[in-house]
Amino acid sequence: MSQDGNLREDTEEAVPSVDSENPEERIAARRLRIAARSEAKKRQELGDDSHEKKDIKEEARKSQHQVEQSEKRMIKLQSDGTELVTNIQVAADSRESQRRTEVEEAHRLRVEKLENEAKSSLEKFEEITRKWTVAKMKEIPQDLRDSLSSQQQLCALLIEDKNKLIHELQKEMKLSDDRYVKDLKKQGEDVDLMIERMEDQVKFLMGSYRDELDQIENSFEHERKILLTGNRKKWEQYMKERQDKELENVMQRMKRVEEYEVLLQQLRTEDAEEYNMIKIKLDTDVQILEQQLQQMKATYQLNQEKLEYNFQVLKKRDEENTITKSQQKRKITRLQDVVNNLKIKCANQEKQSREENQNLTDDYTRIMQQYKHMQKKMRHFAAIDAKKFEEVWLMNEEEVKALVEKALDTDRLVHEQQLGLAWQRPPLAFMERAGPEVYESGAGLESGSSEVERESEGSGGEHSGTVSVKMVKKLLELLCDEAGFLIESKLLKLLSPLEKDEQSLMKLDSIFTVSYTVTAMCMLCHLPQAERGEFTSSCSPTSDLIHPNDVLVALRAFTAHHCRPRSPSMLGLGGREDTEDAAYWEAMGDVIPEAKLKIWGALETALDKYHIVLTERSKFITDTQSLKQQNTELRMLLHQYVNSRVGVPVIASRGFVSRMCLLI
Amino acid sequence: MSKSPGAGMYPPVAKLNLAADPRKMRRIIAEDPEWSLTVVPLLSNLCLQCIVRNFEEKPILEELLPRHKDYVLERLSPSLPLQVTANLISDDGYWKRCCKQRWGLCDVSSYGHSWKRMFFERHLENIIELFIPDATDPKTVLGMVPLCRNYVKRLDISQLLPPIKEPQKSEDDDNSDSASDMGMDGPSMDHFDFGILLDKLSHLEEFHVVYRVKGCGMNFEWNLFEFTFRDCESLAKALKSCKTLRVLRIHQSKVDDEKCRQLVNNLLDHPSLRELNLSHNLIGDRGARAIGKLLNRSKLESLTVYDNNIRGPGAQAIAYALAKNSSLLSLNLRLNRLGDEGGQAIAQALLKNRTLKWLHLGGNEMTEPTATVLSQVLVQNNTLRSINLSCNRLGMDGGKVLEEGMCHNSSVVECDIRLTEVGQESDYCISQVVRNNQNQAHTKHNTEENLAQTSEHY
Repeated sequence: MSQDGNLREDTEEAVPSVDSENPEERIAARRLRIAARSEAKKRQELGDDSHEKKDIKEEARKSQHQVEQSEKRMIKLQSDGTELVTNIQVAADSRESQRRTEVEEAHRLRVEKLENEAKSSLEKFEEITRKWTVAKMKEIPQDLRDSLSSQQQLCALLIEDKNKLIHELQKEMKLSDDRYVKDLKKQGEDVDLMIERMEDQVKFLMGSYRDELDQIENSFEHERKILLTGNRKKWEQYMKERQDKELENVMQRMKRVEEYEVLLQQLRTEDAEEYNMIKIKLDTDVQILEQQLQQMKATYQLNQEKLEYNFQVLKKRDEENTITKSQQKRKITRLQDVVNNLKIKCANQEKQSREENQNLTDDYTRIMQQYKHMQKKMRHFAAIDAKKFEEVWLMNEEEVKALVEKALDTDRLVHEQQLGLAWQRPPLAFMERAGPEVYESGAGLESGSSEVERESEGSGGEHSGTVSVKMVKKLLELLCDEAGFLIESKLLKLLSPLEKDEQSLMKLDSIFTVSYTVTAMCMLCHLPQAERGEFTSSCSPTSDLIHPNDVLVALRAFTAHHCRPRSPSMLGLGGREDTEDAAYWEAMGDVIPEAKLKIWGALETALDKYHIVLTERSKFITDTQSLKQQNTELRMLLHQYVNSRVGVPVIASRGFVSRMCLLI
Repeated sequence: MSKSPGAGMYPPVAKLNLAADPRKMRRIIAEDPEWSLTVVPLLSNLCLQCIVRNFEEKPILEELLPRHKDYVLERLSPSLPLQVTANLISDDGYWKRCCKQRWGLCDVSSYGHSWKRMFFERHLENIIELFIPDATDPKTVLGMVPLCRNYVKRLDISQLLPPIKEPQKSEDDDNSDSASDMGMDGPSMDHFDFGILLDKLSHLEEFHVVYRVKGCGMNFEWNLFEFTFRDCESLAKALKSCKTLRVLRIHQSKVDDEKCRQLVNNLLDHPSLRELNLSHNLIGDRGARAIGKLLNRSKLESLTVYDNNIRGPGAQAIAYALAKNSSLLSLNLRLNRLGDEGGQAIAQALLKNRTLKWLHLGGNEMTEPTATVLSQVLVQNNTLRSINLSCNRLGMDGGKVLEEGMCHNSSVVECDIRLTEVGQESDYCISQVVRNNQNQAHTKHNTEENLAQTSEHY
């Protein structure tokens, strides 16, 4: 049994096979296999870890050291062994090379020897052949025999030499054969030795490998043991600590559990009481709340309906609103468009008007220039016209004067010759006058007006001259104060922050404008003097300060000052008075008075009659003259006729007839 | 308890009695999803079994569900004809069974962990190795081509049989042998012609060949180990036609200068050749010159010509090429006869070269002058990682010079100076420097690895 057990143990220890007959053993084998696999896996993982962890490497230094050492030792052993084995080969090599050199040497010697031998034998052979010729020469048989025997001897010698050589060579061959056999034997021995050494080497190496492996394993084992014990110690320590702690925890827990149980009991009873109370209270509350709930439900119903209605209304409104909104939006967009258009238009308009304005200003300046030019021209023409006028005047006057003179002459003639009356020259004052007297009178008027103006100015200047600057100032201030009503309140407000002088200045300005307008209005309305004066006195405070005597003068000056810009056109042309001129010219025309004209008329008629008579008389005269001529002619004709032949009378008669006709 | 060891001891007996086997009576086996207690097998299983039985006449595999496919593959016989299985079955399990059945011991790791590749490569190798010219029909080889061309990446031919009809005239003398090769007996001495095969294997990358007979024992004759000129010609042409070849190895085949030149001439400008191994041959200086020419007209990364007969001039030719080369990483000239002349030339070339990492100059009769130049190389060149100078009589002075050179170097991690008579002191110093360099390289490598890991991790 014990043997069996041992055997089993052995088998198990060696390799429990999965093919074994015993199921238990198979199970064990499989378990081992699984364990090996899992261990391999674990090792792989650990290996992965160890690659990353360098501390382990550091610890494993010892085993690594061992491994390295073993490796070195093994390499050394191996190389030593190889050397030991190859030593044989090297020795054989060296022997072989030595043999070769020897063989070479022997070969050389042999060749030399052979050559020498060949040479000597050749010499001998030649000697023999030479002797043959000598022998041929011999006549004597004895000699011949001698020589033949000697030849035979020599040949035998030669052959002996050769044989000797052959023998030697054969000996050498035998020797070398022996040597070859010996070499073969030696080499066989060498090979055997080599095999033996190799086997030894293999054995030895195997043993040493095993030793080294054991050592390495031992070192690993040792390390592992150390690690294992260390870890186990730690593990146990930690386990103990844990046990203690757990025990403590359990005790504490038990204690606490008891405490909590007591507390719980207490709490439970209290809570039960409280619970009952609260339950009752809550029941009543529930009832009340239910009632309220009913009420609330009713109100809720009501409210819901109301809200529904409101909702509907609002919905409607909302719809309307949306419609109006959309409309408004559309409108806005439309208006926006319009605005944009208008803006564009406005801009265009502005631009246009600006251009127009520019054009107009240009026009204005141009027209102003033209106007000025025109005025200049006008003045020029006025002067020329005046001159012309004067010249025309003078010419006409001269002409008229001549006519007057002629008329007067005629009158004188009529009076003296026809009527036979004494003629007296009527007084003609204007005849002395020459040139347009009326013009001069206009200029004088003009100058007179200017003189008046000057006078008024002079009076003004005198006035102003008498009144000092102070006075003027005072006067103006007074004016300001008195005519304060003329100033607008707004202006006053505006002026208030300004200085006094400036204030008064501005006030004065406004007052003057107002008063000026008033006065202008008065002038234009052609108010009566008195009224005007009243008005001015009442409305214009300036007149108060002007003396009443000066008022008229001042006013005239004022009007003159104001009318001047309106009357420059009347200056040259309208200034003339036609009446005087007409009178002048009338006077000229009336040189012959009415009575005289009547006389002239009567005279004319009488003369006309006289004329007619005279003309009739002249006519009669001519008639008589012609009749006298005819008479003479006829007499001549008759005379002729009487004196002339019968044929001619036709022609003569014809001419006569025509003349007669003519006369008829 | 008592049963389990008993059952383990006699499993076949237990299987006979269903009831006795507790496994058979279990309702559930977690590890076997197909397990069921029902005595009547499923129809689908019956069908699948039928398919398995008649697979040779009617191979149905691709149409099946993956589950059924596994079932069928598991039960197919490994002795099915290759014509059926070669291009149909890609499952490694089946080919594993084939390999195990045929050879027993297998190391799939050297075949890229592909059982199918292993099977076909070894199968093809077997066919070629047992091919007897004039006796075997070439169709046996050619027939295999369409079946295995997609899976064969490497061919390691370890023997090539000569024709059965042994030429009686052949004599021990090499000259007469080669003459007879060229003469009337020529065709009968030729081996298998690779020209018919190599250009058809579109995935071939490595090609190893040895012109010899394995295990001839007391039947040994020189002409069993013959690499005729015609063989060389056909092989060279075949190699030229194989554009995917990366590694070429011709061992122990008596490749002399002429054959080497022929091979190299056909390998010039090869698009993919990276490794050339012509060890244990008879290459001399002319062959070495040809190899030097090849160095700069190909993309060779590794050149191995140890145990040949290259002397000074040949080494000079290789050195001249090496000085201009920028692709070669590894150069092995072990057991040649370079001498100081060749050694110095190689070392001078290394002053200019910036790519070579591994150099083996063991057993080359080099002495102190070479060591002087090499110490210069050690000072100036910082790409060289490994240098092997064993079995050269460098002497005490040479050792000192080398020691000085090593003091200024920080890249060499391997330096073999065994049996060079350099003196213990220099030996110790040099090994010290090498160890330092190794440590530095190691730490550097470690930090790089750590960095890579951390970068991956993140």
